[in-house]
Amino acid sequence: MNDFSATTSLMHGIQQLLRRNFVLTLTVGYFIVMSALLPAFASSRNLANLSSNFWPLLSLVIGQLLVMIVGGIDLSQSSIMALASVCGASLMCQSADPVVFAKAPLWNIVFSEQGGFLAGSVFAVSAAVAVMLTVGILVGFFNGFAVAYLKMPPFIVTLVSMMFFSGAAIYLTASENITHLPTSFTAIAQKRVLLPIPVWIVAASAIVVHIILQHTAFGKKLYAVGLNAKAALISGINVPMVTLTAFTLSGFFAALGSVIYSARLEGGRPTLGQDLLLDVIGAAVIGGISLFGGRGRVRDACAGALFFTLLANSLNLMNLSFFIVNIVKGGVILLAAAVDAWRVGKSGGMSKR
Amino acid sequence: MKRGKYLFFAVIVGFFLISGGSCGKKEKQLTICFSFQDLETEFWVGAHKAITEELKARGVRVIERNSSQDANRQLEQVRDAIAQQVDGIIIIPQDGQSANTIIGEANRAGIPIAVFNRPPADSSRNAIVVLADNKLIAEKAVDYMVEKAAASGRRYRPCIIVGDLGDPNSIARRDGFYAALAKRPQLFKPVVEVPSKWDAGTTLANFEAAIQANPDIDFVFTSSDFLYPQLRSVLEPLGKWTSDADPRHVILGGVDGDSFACRMMRERIIDATGVQDLFFEARSLMDELLRAIDNGEKQPKKWIVDPGFTLTLDNYAERAVDMWGCVLLHRGLISR
Repeated sequence: MNDFSATTSLMHGIQQLLRRNFVLTLTVGYFIVMSALLPAFASSRNLANLSSNFWPLLSLVIGQLLVMIVGGIDLSQSSIMALASVCGASLMCQSADPVVFAKAPLWNIVFSEQGGFLAGSVFAVSAAVAVMLTVGILVGFFNGFAVAYLKMPPFIVTLVSMMFFSGAAIYLTASENITHLPTSFTAIAQKRVLLPIPVWIVAASAIVVHIILQHTAFGKKLYAVGLNAKAALISGINVPMVTLTAFTLSGFFAALGSVIYSARLEGGRPTLGQDLLLDVIGAAVIGGISLFGGRGRVRDACAGALFFTLLANSLNLMNLSFFIVNIVKGGVILLAAAVDAWRVGKSGGMSKR
Repeated sequence: MKRGKYLFFAVIVGFFLISGGSCGKKEKQLTICFSFQDLETEFWVGAHKAITEELKARGVRVIERNSSQDANRQLEQVRDAIAQQVDGIIIIPQDGQSANTIIGEANRAGIPIAVFNRPPADSSRNAIVVLADNKLIAEKAVDYMVEKAAASGRRYRPCIIVGDLGDPNSIARRDGFYAALAKRPQLFKPVVEVPSKWDAGTTLANFEAAIQANPDIDFVFTSSDFLYPQLRSVLEPLGKWTSDADPRHVILGGVDGDSFACRMMRERIIDATGVQDLFFEARSLMDELLRAIDNGEKQPKKWIVDPGFTLTLDNYAERAVDMWGCVLLHRGLISR
């Protein structure tokens, strides 16, 4: 009887583990299978690649998580990345080619042949990063204001933002990449302080967001707004302010991702992140963050981003063609979303958090 | 619940604390990663074909990577190839700057890298670089166009379709164009510059606008032959897409040497094209990279320049067989 009881308890425990951590379990399983199939998959170099790809993506997924919890979606993250990238790079670049940039609107105003406005200053990198983050916050605020106070649909607002700010990034630099960035900036993506610097930046941000979501009144308000905005309003929650804050934070995290990607590519790119949106939303959906609001944790964002990173990397290591890789990625996102929806439905909606 | 948390932290922490060495064994067969930006133009299709066929003919296993014009994706793909311990890397980079970053990755990994047809922004990087002498090739093609203009005895309104100014090839071709015009400045009115960004849609829109604003344009140089269909879309309805025997003929020239230029020269609509010797470039790249791998060189550095040649209406009968676009057309590898 005792044995039976112990077995039942173990089975129940495993069921709970799978139910609550389905994607993470899937990720671990996938990692084990791929490590057996692909010799290079678990090599230290490839793990370093996975890490390098995972953290900036996670930053974007966390931003998307906050917006999705309140029942929104942020399609403008890629344009925020591009705009922040060129704004920051134009301020801190150490030189620029007049042949390339002569027709750029920022030329001779923000940057010139001698470099950016901040070039040579000891505060160049920190100030430029601050500007990049501010750009993200401002665009996020704009999105949030339109959604929360003008009552515009998030899909349309952020779609228009994506078009507008992508165009602005291209316009400001005449579509050229801004290079010759300070090494102290590119070091953000290339140097380590025990662990790679992006790990510290994004992990710290993730922990802060986790604490906000799980242990503060504001976190509870976010979920309440996402579950039922009317009920939240009647309960005395300032729904527009909560929504505005979620979109503003999404802009911040997109800009944070931009800092890491720009440092990694050693340049300000007006087309930065153009193809990343599917990866971000795909990772969020795989993680189990609800597109209907009210559900999602930082842990889900991590699991989704991790699985997506593993998937993309393993497909590359299988030497599949670009077209097949895209087809498989799309199929897996769809399958994961369907399985997760079935799992949630079967468990009677389970915990919203 | 707690078990879930432990599992989560174990995965995340374990994942990133590992660093350093590498594992796996090299296969005897050479493996080369070939990463290219896209296959959108005929030149890149031709280059892809020439390089992959040459590698396979030499018994090399090729890992192909299409970055779809995304510099970040190309960097990730090359890093993944490095993790597979490839013996060498060939890239057609998105731009000169991203070439620098990727070369740095390969150098750090000790894997020889070769860059095809688009030079890194920083020429001090350790890579095998094969590229055409774009300025000279463009200048010679425009020289012929200028002589043709001089023979007519009237002044022309020149127009240049400029590529992406972030691309050193594009800048060199523009320099070649102006160098040729500077030899006979009295023949020309002010130049009309049309930006293309190496994009067909952008070229069509901007060239249409340029023709509206300057209907007297009668001398057009395109920085790449792949943009000729857009020029034809604008000039044909105006009755200006004609052979050189027609008085309405616009003097036309370009750079690359693709199959469209080959066909249009056969019809005497295009006057000259500066030809890159695609097969020479692919063969030289391969020779140099395989030599470096054989010699165990981890960071070989060499620049190989393709001087190219000019195909004109005067030498078409003799030299067309040397132009890669005509060769591909003749072999039936490119659609007619």
